[in-house]
Amino acid sequence: MTVLVDPGSFRDPSGQIYHLDNKVYRTICGDAAEHYEFARDSGVLAALVEDGLLIGSQEVDRGLLGPVGAAASYVVEHPRLPFISYPYEWSFGLLKAAALLHLDLQMAALERDISLSDASAYNVQFLGVRPQFIDVLSLRRYREGEFWNGHSQFCNQFLNPLLLRALLGLPHNAWYRGSLEGITTTDLARILPFKSKLSWNVFSQVVLQAKMQGVARTKTKSELADTKRKSLPKTAFRNMLAQLRSWIEGLEPLGGEKSVWSDYAEANTYKTEEALAKRQFVSEFVTATKPKLLWDLGCNTGEYSEAALEAGAQRVIGFDFDQGALDRAFLRSKHKDLAFLPLFLDAANPSPDQGWQQHERAGFEKRAKADALIALAFEHHLAIGRNVPLDQLLGWLTGLAPTGVIEFVQKTDTTVQQMLAVREDIFPDYSEAAFTAHLERHARIVRRQAISSEDRCLFWYDRT
Amino acid sequence: MRAILRLAILSTFVLIIATEPSYAYLDPGTGSILLQGLIAGIAGGLMVLRLYWAKVKSFLSFHGKKDEKADKELGSQ
Repeated sequence: MTVLVDPGSFRDPSGQIYHLDNKVYRTICGDAAEHYEFARDSGVLAALVEDGLLIGSQEVDRGLLGPVGAAASYVVEHPRLPFISYPYEWSFGLLKAAALLHLDLQMAALERDISLSDASAYNVQFLGVRPQFIDVLSLRRYREGEFWNGHSQFCNQFLNPLLLRALLGLPHNAWYRGSLEGITTTDLARILPFKSKLSWNVFSQVVLQAKMQGVARTKTKSELADTKRKSLPKTAFRNMLAQLRSWIEGLEPLGGEKSVWSDYAEANTYKTEEALAKRQFVSEFVTATKPKLLWDLGCNTGEYSEAALEAGAQRVIGFDFDQGALDRAFLRSKHKDLAFLPLFLDAANPSPDQGWQQHERAGFEKRAKADALIALAFEHHLAIGRNVPLDQLLGWLTGLAPTGVIEFVQKTDTTVQQMLAVREDIFPDYSEAAFTAHLERHARIVRRQAISSEDRCLFWYDRT
Repeated sequence: MRAILRLAILSTFVLIIATEPSYAYLDPGTGSILLQGLIAGIAGGLMVLRLYWAKVKSFLSFHGKKDEKADKELGSQ
């Protein structure tokens, strides 16, 4: 029954997020109240919510939050999001969708004389792979001629990480995770090849902006203030947004597949008996356990996430570290409008607690508890690929969800043999017997089923 | 010799420090503001050009209309 302040929402002095009884509230204080009233009374808030761009907010009695509520002008309640994810966990497709949402929201709002006070990527969250803007307080009344305050942040947090993969073929995740504010324009300008700088968009948004950053160092305070006093005509602002939008919409990962989901290709993929048996097993598991939130560790292209949703799971968050697989999983979810969010995760090094006081951005395990998990063709990547002892691995997996399905891959399996082909076999204890014994220390085995000619097995566990 | 070398290293160090004193503390958004200032300038310039162009066009169309009228007058004769 205690009101808890969200550790990730300290930056904006005009309001914060609070948690109470599993509900999410936002305070609106001081000057922000006027901006909020303008957005609310002009009908913009309702319109943006209606269009699915913005999270809903319902005004509630301020007394609900006690003293913090009394100090605020308004308290609104937001629907609770099933899972908070961060841009360093997003694939290229997700980051691009978030960037386009930000620009669409900015353009729609500008038409009604509202602008966004910042461009933090952390203000975008996903339902399935549909992005939604969650920070009502960022909507401010637009003053004719004002600059786009969030431009630099937009570049750091959306554009530059996208360009990293589109122009250089490098995923943004590791860099972004180490640098929570994104990738600076100055850094990006230093590593871009000369050829890419010949594009007008790259030249103006990256090279020129980085150059300006250098120029700014030589300017005095009053010279900078003079620049700030200039006005950016609304048409120029609008054009800038439109140009960025059309550029970003056309960005694709360098050397990646064309980003079109093809039903034809999927229908013609030969479904092995093994895949069918896995689907069947997952369906039966989900039908029996009815999870609201299911985690699919090593989700690959999301084939089994989709099977779980078909069998009645309400929502699936998938995790994988293969960018190609994540790109396809994103397309699957988008094309079929699934309640499936595929995220980047290296299970041997999951997202940590980090940011200010190491509380601002919560680690992977702290954000949500899954009702169930599936970990198919996953275990050997950690046990053999990353030397994680089986007992630790099974302790960790069974700790993540009270029930689940884990696939065991035999040492004689072709993929394991491939992994061992170029390295010493230091796993004399890796066996199904050892796997079963360790699993039984943490959970009850509900069912075991061999599903391939190479004797891969699925284990359905219930935590004891 | 060593003293000279030490002095050289020290003065280079001081020089580097002194030439970029505010580098680490400068608001990273300043470059963006200058860029937008530039865009604002270009947009303002275009606006002037557009106005000028509109004047040229109206001047030309004025003559065009006059000619049309003249043609009609000629035709009606």
